[in-house]
Amino acid sequence: MTITDVQYYVDGVLARNRRVLSKTITMIESSLPFHQNIARNVMERLLPYTGKSIRIGITGVPGAGKSTFIESFGMMLLKRGLEIAVLAVDPSSKKSGGSIMADKTRMERLSAESRAYIRPSPTGRTLGGVAQKTRESLLVCEAAGFDVVIVETVGVGQLETTVASMVDFFLVLMIPGAGDELQGIKRGILELADAIVINKADGDNVPRAHLARQEYETALHLVNPASANWSPPVLTCSALEERGIEKVWETILDHKRQLGATGELAAKRKDQSLEWTRFLINEGLQEWFYKNDQVSRKIPDIKGKIEAGLITPTQAAQDLLSVIMISGASDDALQREENEK
Amino acid sequence: MSKHSGKEQWKHLAERELKGNPVESLNREAPGGITLKALYTAEDIEQYECTNTLPGLPPYLRGPMATMYAGRPWTIRQYAGFSTARESNEFYRRSLATGQRGLSVAFDLPTHRGYDSDHPRVSGDVGKAGVAVDTVEDMNILFDKIPLNEISVSMTMNGAVLPILGGYIVAAEEQGVKHNELTGTIQNDILKEYLTRNTYIYPPLPSMRIVSDIIAFCADAMPRFNTVSISGYHMMEAGADIVLQTAFTLADGLEYVRTALKAGMDIDTFAPRLSFFFGIGMDFFMNVAMLRAARFLWHRLISRFNPKNARSSVLRTHCQTSGWSLTEQDPYNNIIRTTLECMSAVLGGTQSLHTNSFDEAVGLPTDFSARIARNTQLIVQEESQVCHAIDPLGGSYYIESLTMSIVEEAQKIIDEIEEMGGMAKAIESGMPKMRIEESAARKQARIDQGIETIVGVNKYKSGETPDFEIREVSDDVRVQQIVRLQEIRKTRDNKVVAKALENLTKAAERGGNLLQHTLPAVRARATVGEISDALEKVFGRYVATTLCISGVYASEYRDKEIIESLRRRSELFMEHEGRRPRILLTKMGQDGHDRGVKVVATALADMGFDVDISPMFQTPGEAAKMAVENDVHLVGVSSLAAGHKILIPGLLTELAQIGGEEIMVIAGGVIPPRDYRFLYDAGVSEIFGPGTSIINSANKILNLLEKQFMG
Ligand code: B12
Ligand SMILES: Nc1nc2c(ncn2[C@@H]2O[C@H](COP(=O)(O)OP(=O)(O)OP(=O)(O)O)[C@@H](O)[C@H]2O)c(=O)[nH]1
Ligand SMILES: [Mg+2]
Repeated sequence: MTITDVQYYVDGVLARNRRVLSKTITMIESSLPFHQNIARNVMERLLPYTGKSIRIGITGVPGAGKSTFIESFGMMLLKRGLEIAVLAVDPSSKKSGGSIMADKTRMERLSAESRAYIRPSPTGRTLGGVAQKTRESLLVCEAAGFDVVIVETVGVGQLETTVASMVDFFLVLMIPGAGDELQGIKRGILELADAIVINKADGDNVPRAHLARQEYETALHLVNPASANWSPPVLTCSALEERGIEKVWETILDHKRQLGATGELAAKRKDQSLEWTRFLINEGLQEWFYKNDQVSRKIPDIKGKIEAGLITPTQAAQDLLSVIMISGASDDALQREENEK
Repeated sequence: MSKHSGKEQWKHLAERELKGNPVESLNREAPGGITLKALYTAEDIEQYECTNTLPGLPPYLRGPMATMYAGRPWTIRQYAGFSTARESNEFYRRSLATGQRGLSVAFDLPTHRGYDSDHPRVSGDVGKAGVAVDTVEDMNILFDKIPLNEISVSMTMNGAVLPILGGYIVAAEEQGVKHNELTGTIQNDILKEYLTRNTYIYPPLPSMRIVSDIIAFCADAMPRFNTVSISGYHMMEAGADIVLQTAFTLADGLEYVRTALKAGMDIDTFAPRLSFFFGIGMDFFMNVAMLRAARFLWHRLISRFNPKNARSSVLRTHCQTSGWSLTEQDPYNNIIRTTLECMSAVLGGTQSLHTNSFDEAVGLPTDFSARIARNTQLIVQEESQVCHAIDPLGGSYYIESLTMSIVEEAQKIIDEIEEMGGMAKAIESGMPKMRIEESAARKQARIDQGIETIVGVNKYKSGETPDFEIREVSDDVRVQQIVRLQEIRKTRDNKVVAKALENLTKAAERGGNLLQHTLPAVRARATVGEISDALEKVFGRYVATTLCISGVYASEYRDKEIIESLRRRSELFMEHEGRRPRILLTKMGQDGHDRGVKVVATALADMGFDVDISPMFQTPGEAAKMAVENDVHLVGVSSLAAGHKILIPGLLTELAQIGGEEIMVIAGGVIPPRDYRFLYDAGVSEIFGPGTSIINSANKILNLLEKQFMG
């Protein structure tokens, strides 16, 4: 059933065929090596066509209003004549592995628009899994000519760091709480943010939103800005009532102008690519390590010893690593040579 | 006489009969956190002061009127409406001639949602699930030869309440009937639309203003008309248990009272015109007790506002038996179920009642099935002699205890809602909807396992399919309505219409009673859609927030083996295909029945599927776009409002047009079996009707997928 012709995907994406774009993302996300292989080849050919869109990451706690914000924000962008793609990463249930993706119920108008493309993706059991693929999906959307690509992710675990490392502009959506805003907020997220937007500034919430804004402003002063040319602003908006949304877009454009002029944006993307490569190597190494026969044979034994208190974790790691350092590497090299013959 | 002298002896005997098990082993955990014992005695009720009270007097536990049915029996009020105004009018007049006492109008879904019959979003909905009304001309036909100063009319309308109530008032004017002669009820209960009924149009704030404007207008001009029918029925049908139904309904009531008070009205000018609407299910005694408990609680809640008029704190209610309890399988059983539920409502002291037809799970009632449903009440009323005594179960140890248990549990939830700042705030938080959906998912899991018996569905299956007439509304109704609309738009004075609509928009913007401002537009023959649009310009259209529960179905399902085996198959599919089975569940057209789609969604996710949910009210084109973008393996359409023969083929066509022809389409919901062939021929792969266990559905879906992808 799977179409194996790489050029089919490439042509389809470049021709902005939604069906093919969707199938390409499916290939990227697939856990089958055979699909991944197709995806890699497609990516390679699409790469020259990437780089032209504005990449925005949006994170926030569950229920912060990310999807609603994207609905309003996206509709506003469409009115300005832009085409947009949204990649929404949804956590899956640990127990069943399945998921319910209701993102589009919050993006009712946007999802019906022909100039908008929205793709929800389940994380699968490992949170990091799909987030990594999202980077490639983002590039595919870019190649398909979308002016703006938005990645929505829930602010949990490592997800937000991963997403921050693939976008030009990382927006953190907050909600006004009961006053003690900063409690429970990870400092790390403030360091990642290019802007903090306090959503739900409507109705009874307005005063609280303004209070929160001041507190975040103070907090941001204590964080070293990532760029000398950009100090992340704190804004308020109401995604529901569509107020303050334009200001966010202007801020993003400002950011692009400022950092674009100094060449920082280009540098940021290059850094991200290097960072990405490093990440992929680490992932690959891990996978390769755990798949190694000798390692997997040895693991139960070592596990038992740790549990029995016979060796320290440091010693245990050393023991396992030494397996591949001595024999595993050469084994594997041999194996590869054999394959190539 | 507090401690029963023989209690110990009874216990001893009982435990012997139970072969040594304690009597507590007979306890039943009823939904809503109430534990029921097997035996109640005087001891159980002596702590309650209210048991020995009188009907018509506070706290009204025994009935809102002093003489109850001994004086006048409840009103038989059957909810009906379909097709065109002409056809519905004829049906009403036949019903009135054969024993019905009052009218209750069911409008079609486009009307409910404020769309005219020619609107592109309603191609599958016109006249299908109620009567189509576009202008006052339709209203005139609907009430033709029905004198509105004599017959009380109840109208289930909430979203498009202004043009419809306006249409009724103007139709009366044109019959020569004065406003103050009108009797009946407008549902006008918008809060529960956001919770369960899903025919809202505007966001909560402006909608509450509409409610309050109607209350104010009627307090003045239509003093005999009930201005809000605070409804728990829909919550029950969506899955709420008895305690949830009682608590959420009364909390809604409180919110309306506060809104009217805030608008400057005096409690006694409007509270006596608030009425209620409860749903009556199969749990016989519980439902009797619920009505008694609700009256007690309402009196307690309203007393806080210090009304001078005794009628202000009296709860009067309409009831409807549960359509959800009725089955497609072995449908004549439904007559028996409905009779039992009818008895519950009567013993609980309802003021009016609708009893469902046996073809409930297949389609709108026919003349025949409607007659049997009506006769159910007539027989109870006129043959069984139950009307003679007032509150005949009053004083029963069991009923009185049950009543007070419901009072206590419901009060807890009401307190919780009060703490959140009232029902409007609670709804905003999503809490009540989640509770109802959770309750629905549990119920589904229990039925699917056979823990709760449904005769003919999960036990004592007959396999027979009796043949009876089924009502089908022709697609031609839409065409007829469109022709009428075009005619009216041509012949009316469009300048007057435009001016009236402009004034209405202004009133929405700047203030002024909205019903007052709607009437000139209605008189000028503005359409339901135009009037709704005039308001939408200012208010906007509301989009519901869909929250999803997860893990509830699986945790309520005791046979973990079965769940695990389905999960394994999803996992195997993933190993083969590189991802989990992915399904888009969608609701197309104006069909707002979402109970089924929600339980199916949560259950399939629990079995390891990746489930996409679309917004409500999709067009086939929108659903197809979503299926293609999300790249799902299949689309599951849930259709309950009779749009399936238009919307599902529409979806298949749209899918093919955008390259999604290999995406499989399956369907579920109220689809008469005789339409299956038509749908299969159109390309539908599998159909799951009412009563299908979700385990079976999941199994069949996996079969389809395995055949297609792994076969
Ligand atoms: C509950 C109910 C309501 C509730 C809905 C609450 C809610 N939020 O869902 C309330 C009280 C609000 C309601 C209102 C109305 N209702 Co109603 N309602 C019903 C009722 C009694 C039960 C439906 C139900 O929820 N069953 C339980 C669920 C779990 O079952 P299900 O949806 O069928 O799903 C099961 C299967 O079908 C299958 N399935 C369904 N979809 C899918 C999809 C997939 C992919 C799969 C695998 C399986 C699957 O699996 C499920 C589990 O077994 C039916 C009659 C009946 N007994 O079916 C009438 C019924 C659907 N209602 C009807 C009508 C007319 C209305 C109104 C339009 C009346 C009016 N004019 O005002 C209103 C408006 C509603 C709206 N906005 O659309 C009619 C429709 C007539 C027709 N089809 O010809 C019916 C058939 C009753 C009747 N005979 O008159 N209703
Ligand atoms: N009052 C108000 N409510 C909002 C606003 N934005 C979103 N909401 C509500 O907040 C709830 C959550 O909104 P979503 O957009 O689903 O939030 P999310 O962050 O995408 O949620 P997840 O995807 O589940 O993490 C919904 O009930 C929205 O209607 C806003 O600006 N004001
Ligand atoms: Mg979201």
